[in-house]
Amino acid sequence: MLIKNTQTQYGIVNKFLHWLMALIIIGMLALGLYMSDLPISELKLRLYGIHKEFGILILMLVMFRIVWRIGNIVPLLPPTIPAWQKFAAHAVHWMLYGFMFAMPITGWLMTSAAGLPPSFFGLFTLPSLIAPNDALFKLFIEIHTWLAYGLIATFGAHVGAALKHQFINKDDVLRRML
Amino acid sequence: MKKLLSGLALLALPMISFAAVPSWNIVPSQSSLSFSATQNGAPVKGEFKTFTGDIQGTPEDLKNSHVKIMVDLGSVSTTDKDVSNTLKTADWFDITHFPKATFIADNFTKTGGNTYTAAGKLTIRDKTIPVTLNFVLKDYSGNTLDITGTTTLQRTAFGVGQGDWSKTDSIKDKVAVQFTLKASKA
Repeated sequence: MLIKNTQTQYGIVNKFLHWLMALIIIGMLALGLYMSDLPISELKLRLYGIHKEFGILILMLVMFRIVWRIGNIVPLLPPTIPAWQKFAAHAVHWMLYGFMFAMPITGWLMTSAAGLPPSFFGLFTLPSLIAPNDALFKLFIEIHTWLAYGLIATFGAHVGAALKHQFINKDDVLRRML
Repeated sequence: MKKLLSGLALLALPMISFAAVPSWNIVPSQSSLSFSATQNGAPVKGEFKTFTGDIQGTPEDLKNSHVKIMVDLGSVSTTDKDVSNTLKTADWFDITHFPKATFIADNFTKTGGNTYTAAGKLTIRDKTIPVTLNFVLKDYSGNTLDITGTTTLQRTAFGVGQGDWSKTDSIKDKVAVQFTLKASKA
C-alpha cells in the first residue's frame, strides 16, 4: 500500500482523507439542512453543537490535506481527456478545497457573531473570531447557507464526473481513489 | 409629662438602632448582574438588565444588615436573540407567570479582610432555595458602596429548563452568576 501519491494512483493518506472527509461533509450538509429548520429545542441545540464540532474537525483535516496535496504529486488524468474537461476537473477540485475552508470558517464566524464559541468535542473551546453582532450574525447565516448550496452543486459535478468516467468512459479515473 | 417623654424615648430607641444601618440606592448604570451557563461544552453568557433592591447594610453591623434584590427576568439578554427569547418562555423563566426573581439575604458573615458571605433565599419561578453569595466589599467610604460577588446556581433545582431542557448533558446544570453593585447612601 502506497503512502504517497504516484502518477497513476492516489496514496493511502490521500484516499483516507478523501473518503473520511466525503463522509463527514455529506453528513454535515444533511445535518445542516435538517437542523436549521427545526423549531428551537434541546435536540436542535445539541445538533448545532455536533455540527460545530465536526465543522472544526473538517477545518483541521483540510489544513493537513492541503499541505499533503502540495507536498505530493497528483495522478495524471488519462491523455484522452479533452483540455476543457481537465480544466473543469481541476477547477472543481480547487472549488471543493475552497468550500472545505469557507464552510467551517463562515460557520465559526457565524457562531462567533452569536456569541456562542464552538467547543471541540468538549476538549477545548475555540476563541470567538469576532465580537457578538446581530447584523453580522444574519449576514454569515446567509453566506454559510449559500456556500452550502454552492458546495452541493459542485459536489454533484464532482460525483457525476467520477461516475461518467467509471461507467461511460470506462477508464481508471475513479479506481485511482479506491 | 416626664413619663410620657421617657415613654416616647423608649419607643424611639429601636428606630435609632435601625437608623444606624444606612440604606442604599443602587446605581443601575454602574451595576450589573450577569451569568455564564455551559452549552455544548462552550459558555453562553448573558445578563439581566433590570433589577432593583432594598439595601440596608454596613460592615459595622452585619447582624442588622438586610438586602432584598428583585430581578426583572424579562430583562434577560444574551448575545444570541434566539437564546434570549427562549429563556423567557414557559420552559425556562416563564416570565408571564413569574416575572421576577427575588433574593433576600439577612445572614452576613465576614470571611476575610474585605470578603463576606451573604446567606439568604433565592426565589426563581415557584421555587425558593437557600443560596449563599460570596462578595468583596471593594469600597465602603462615605456615600458609596461598591461590591462584586459571585455564586453558582443549579438551574434545574429552580425548574429552569422544563421537559427535554431539564437534561443536563448538553446544557449543564451549573450556572455561574457574577454581580457588581454600586450604590449611593440614601
